[in-house]
Amino acid sequence: MTALGWGRRFLLCRPVHFTVAYEINPYMHVQVHPDPDLALAQHEALVANLRAAGAEVEFLEPVPGLPDLVFTANAGVVDAGVFVPSRFRHPERQGETVHDTAWFSARGFRVSPLPGDEPFEGAGDVLPFDAEPGAARGPVLVAGYRTRSAVGAQTSLGSMLRVPVRTVELTDERFYHVDLVFCPLDERRALVAPQGLDRYGCRVLSELVPEPVWLTDDEATSFCANSVVVGDVIVMPGCTPRLGRILEDAGLSVVVSPVGEFLKAGGGCRCLTLALDVDLSSAGRRGGAPVGGSVDESLVHELP
Amino acid sequence: MSAGGQGACSEVVRLDGHVVDSLLLAKVLDAIVDAGATYEILELEMGTTVLDESHVRMRVSAPDEAALDGLLADVQVHGVNREDGSDAELVEAPTDGVLPADFYSTTNLATWVRVDGRWIPSGRPEMDCALVVDPVSSSGASAVRVVPMHRVCAGERVVVGWRGVRVETPARADDAEGFGFMTSEVSSEKPKAVSLTRVAASIREARDRRARGTGGGQVLAVCGPAVVHTGAAPALARLVRDGWVQVLFAGNGFATHDIESNVLGTSLGVSLGEGVLSEHGHANHLRVINEVRRFGSIASAVEAGWLRGGVLYECVRAGVPFVLGGSVRDDGPLPDVISDTVAAGDAMRALLDDVDVAMMLATTLHAIATGNLLPAGVETYCVDINQAVVTKLADRGSHQALGIVTDVGLFMGDLADRLCGAELGHG
Repeated sequence: MTALGWGRRFLLCRPVHFTVAYEINPYMHVQVHPDPDLALAQHEALVANLRAAGAEVEFLEPVPGLPDLVFTANAGVVDAGVFVPSRFRHPERQGETVHDTAWFSARGFRVSPLPGDEPFEGAGDVLPFDAEPGAARGPVLVAGYRTRSAVGAQTSLGSMLRVPVRTVELTDERFYHVDLVFCPLDERRALVAPQGLDRYGCRVLSELVPEPVWLTDDEATSFCANSVVVGDVIVMPGCTPRLGRILEDAGLSVVVSPVGEFLKAGGGCRCLTLALDVDLSSAGRRGGAPVGGSVDESLVHELP
Repeated sequence: MSAGGQGACSEVVRLDGHVVDSLLLAKVLDAIVDAGATYEILELEMGTTVLDESHVRMRVSAPDEAALDGLLADVQVHGVNREDGSDAELVEAPTDGVLPADFYSTTNLATWVRVDGRWIPSGRPEMDCALVVDPVSSSGASAVRVVPMHRVCAGERVVVGWRGVRVETPARADDAEGFGFMTSEVSSEKPKAVSLTRVAASIREARDRRARGTGGGQVLAVCGPAVVHTGAAPALARLVRDGWVQVLFAGNGFATHDIESNVLGTSLGVSLGEGVLSEHGHANHLRVINEVRRFGSIASAVEAGWLRGGVLYECVRAGVPFVLGGSVRDDGPLPDVISDTVAAGDAMRALLDDVDVAMMLATTLHAIATGNLLPAGVETYCVDINQAVVTKLADRGSHQALGIVTDVGLFMGDLADRLCGAELGHG
């Protein structure tokens, strides 16, 4: 197994103002409030598990009135020194963008919004799948569309970052972001929840991923795909014995980090993190092998 | 709307991105077919490296507007966008009878104009006209009219450029049996009986549509003087008398010879019975014109009992409206002839709303003039001994014409026997 080339540095946001104040996915019910203390404890445990696995963790300042700011995966997409901020579909979350953008600007990232006005929800709907060293292709962005992000926005993102995009339709509202149906484990494997895809999406991912790990209904609906891989450790909101054996056979150590209070808002471990060390350019990839041989380095981050 | 309204609605759309690797193109094409629609790939530009996007441009056709809108709304989520997503640009006409410089010039196909994001059907299509968008009516929607240049009024909003306009292509010949005539067919070798059967069937179907009382179903006869010379006039008169023709267009020549033959038994002075020139026969048609001018109109000549047979006599008796369009070569002319050609064109337009079968009988100029006014959906039969007439009509954009190259006298006699004989026991 060759570990992922990214996932050693994450942005999180402490759940100081976290609650369920509105309903924008099938999991949210304003009558069912998360326990604030338990949420804080679960979040601290998640941070500890990430650090124990070898990851650095940075924090975004919580903001009153923006309860979902804790789900930093939706802030935007990071590629080396570039931050592409999200354009949230729901007005309830649109106030987050100014805070996300300020954080990245203050740390020297170039902030590059997507052209147009179509919705786009960041790393929640876009995950890179790396290539094996020496493979014919470079990294590919697996992008989910329909429920939250528009396919046109993801096409624009691919053009902007000069990375091929595989857009898959999210056909079931329970799996409203792609990080609920897809989780790259390494360069050959990924967790895939076919329950949230149609036959075209399943075929696209089976052609992209040499050894897909298909999740059962129970695994998919208990957010197993919403996990964070740090090197050879996978931090999961939950796991079944079947899946645990498969993951361990693949060389991964499974760490279950319960996030039940956040599941009440429709988010798991992945939703609570945003990888800051994604670098989609060939030079930035571990090993530095040029990919495809046709990428003009000077153009890699040239933005429209 | 004419029969052409049953043709497919279509729209040109684009799909861009990594649409091949993501199977988006396959998904969209499947969705189109599953919806009972069809597609035609107009352009396909495949990315040459993994980074390159692919670009697809295609025409999507559905059976009707609602189905097309529904399908395009469904596939829009997959990134399919109408190529023309903008409203039509409107500019006010500067003066009466003058269009803005860049006006959209119409075709004879059913046309839709996008106003405030909604596609609005135009009125009866006519080629070489402009599209005028009327202000929002009490029903809340704008209306679109097809207006000839001379009829536009100062200040009316005219569509300019090509954005926000789309046309509905008639169904192809092989799509449905009923539309088999909608091809530019000209053949002198086709068995006449087959053509005759088609024309007769078309006219019968028109009568059935007329009987339903929902508009349409009128048959138009456009006649040249040769209809009289070849002896076809009595057959045409039977068709008018028995209710198979609802509108008639002709010129001074046809009308004059029709009357001359019934009053004097000659056509241009030649005896129709014996084929010999009557004494002083060359002036017969002038004397006939002079007499009708004395009566004041053809209808008055019929009322007075002076004219007692023929095509126009039957038209007057049956209340079939006719337009006689004048030309600079006309003798007289007859008092009914409209010698202002622009006014004649307007008079013809006014009678076309319910016409959906047209017979062009041994006439070049009137056939072309009428062809220019007809929507593409009108079933048009062009009967002429000269193949060039049909070709000319097709070349001018009247693609729906079926040419029947034969002697109009024999053809009309057979047609009247088919229709009148079968129905009423004549001939």
